[in-house]
Amino acid sequence: MSELRDRELAKAAQALQVGNAQTTRRFDVPVVVDLEKCITKCRICIDSCPVDCLAVNPETGKAHMAFDECWYCLACELDCPKDAITVKIPFLIR
Amino acid sequence: MHATTLEADIVVVGGGSAGSTAAIRAQQALPRGRVVLLEKAHIKRSGAIAIGMDGLNNAIIPGHATAEQYVKEITMANDGIVNQRAIWEYATHSFEMINQLDAWGVKFQKTASGDFDVKKVHHKGSYVLPMPEGYDLKKILTRVLKRAGVNVINRVMATRLLKDGDRIAGVVGFDTRTGELAVIRAKAVILACGASGRLGLPASGYLYGTYENPANAGDGYSLAYHAGAELTGIECFQINPLIKDYNGPACAYVTGPLGGYTVNAHGNRFIESDYWSGHMMLEFYRELHSENGPVYLKLDHLAPETLTEIERVLHKTERPSRGRFHAGRGNSYATNMVEMHISEIGLCSGHSGSGVWVNERGETTVPGLYAAGDMACVPHNYLLGALTYGHLCAQNALEYIANVGDGAALDEQIAAERERIFAPLSRPNGIPHHQYEYKVRRLVNDYLQPPKSAHRLTAGLNFFLRASEELNEVGAQTPHDLMRVMEGHFIRDCAEMAARASLYRTESRWGLYHYRQDFPTMDDERWFVHVNLKKDEQGAMQMLERPIEPYIVPLDRSELREYHNLRIASAPQSSELKRPTAPSAERGLPA
Repeated sequence: MSELRDRELAKAAQALQVGNAQTTRRFDVPVVVDLEKCITKCRICIDSCPVDCLAVNPETGKAHMAFDECWYCLACELDCPKDAITVKIPFLIR
Repeated sequence: MHATTLEADIVVVGGGSAGSTAAIRAQQALPRGRVVLLEKAHIKRSGAIAIGMDGLNNAIIPGHATAEQYVKEITMANDGIVNQRAIWEYATHSFEMINQLDAWGVKFQKTASGDFDVKKVHHKGSYVLPMPEGYDLKKILTRVLKRAGVNVINRVMATRLLKDGDRIAGVVGFDTRTGELAVIRAKAVILACGASGRLGLPASGYLYGTYENPANAGDGYSLAYHAGAELTGIECFQINPLIKDYNGPACAYVTGPLGGYTVNAHGNRFIESDYWSGHMMLEFYRELHSENGPVYLKLDHLAPETLTEIERVLHKTERPSRGRFHAGRGNSYATNMVEMHISEIGLCSGHSGSGVWVNERGETTVPGLYAAGDMACVPHNYLLGALTYGHLCAQNALEYIANVGDGAALDEQIAAERERIFAPLSRPNGIPHHQYEYKVRRLVNDYLQPPKSAHRLTAGLNFFLRASEELNEVGAQTPHDLMRVMEGHFIRDCAEMAARASLYRTESRWGLYHYRQDFPTMDDERWFVHVNLKKDEQGAMQMLERPIEPYIVPLDRSELREYHNLRIASAPQSSELKRPTAPSAERGLPA
């Protein structure tokens, strides 16, 4: 019994000292960009976003939602000159 | 790391409603380049009205209302804890701002005879002026700002104010895309950073599903606090009735004048007035948690053309995605009542009374520092209050800077802030900002959400002090991350202020906003005072009291309590949880 307690005390002390470990996770995000319609190098939606959650996707050169931080305010959708954006209600509150 | 360094006369922090009118007014009197507007988003879509607003909620239009009536109404709505001079200044200058907006091209609803079409939503007077095309408001303000020649710097977030002795001397922040440090020396600073809207966690658990624009993270509350300014009424939380889960207004201010109203699950009305006050929220909360809950906004009795009119406004302005939210749930205004809930807590003087202490000149307690809009305490000030006070602050700051010379070098302060801002980048594998934020805001819900009690508030306070240490573990990999980490500082600061101010006022006031279970009555003998807080010389959070200045529009005691009687007399209910009744002896217990 005391062996178990000693081990737990040692581990509790160690847990305060060790560094951080990470993992990654997929997120479903509400801003959907139609790549056919979206204009390369246009940054209108990226400038519109009040929380700066859009960015150019380096893989496609087109806009995408880079951070799971959308307020579903529709600024990007309303300001897009090509009607390339559809904002869905985020899944958690849909 | 590169740094942008600028010299200006006046810096405005925040380019929403208040910040726009402040910068426009200041630029009218100063050479180009001497007014800098810092905006952490982009001015075309920033602030609380990023997507426009459907009306002015507190318009005092000659022939419809008077300044005396309005000051009286807001004094009642805020249980007497007001600086009437600041409200009076608004009440007597806001019609000029309406005319200014009209001249800029903002369209207000008018009657066939050309009069402003004012509606009644408040308990007593008529102050609501619809703007059915209010979706253009931010675009119009942006156009005027550009024409005025204001030096607008987008995507820079302020993190600390600079001081030269007691005076304000500028702003430090960073570009949230390039990570470049930004230092702007100035003689006066006008803070217009909006509400502390990312304080409580929405019931959905979605961090950015807040009532307020989530960019409004309490930046201004924290900036003013660390500069030594007093804040006031922080215990008077903002809590609003919103569409459940969607967490935006339904909106009774638009639908009320067209025949919509709040009901319980039986379809019965239970409140006299849909105007957002703490006492209205208390009745809303009680109904929601009683056997009569949920609470709904009832529109399904309205004529189809009225519903079309409501949709035309609600699905184009303020929170236009309401339409697709309802459609996604298979609901429509014609067939379903809209289920309502209460928002997470926040700090916002635009709707309640929690903010930076300002007088009728928009001055804080720090020379050269002004505050306007949702973050400055002029209770129930709403959009028109922000626009009006932005203008007033600039006017008064212009007078102030005429007598201020160049300041001393502040290299030490700047170096210290540079180190503080960029520290999280040295911990790329530290705790991610969203996990930190989720934890602090979940604890805000657990311990600060009314009804409040000393034991819970104290436990919460201890967690927020611990959260201060935990900030040293939070890491960032990009300038965007860094923005969120620094917002984590603002959120934690606001949580500590909210806990301490709530603990200090040992009475209940403002209905649900400060309902203390351990002190359930309102005690005017002891607590007819402003509760303020500030950072003292040693860096500790100090509580203090300020007397209520004599009223310029007198009210008697019974008038002061008129907002206490918002429950409809025929709709009594009790939200007390009752013990299950024991089975009677005759029926006997099951074997």
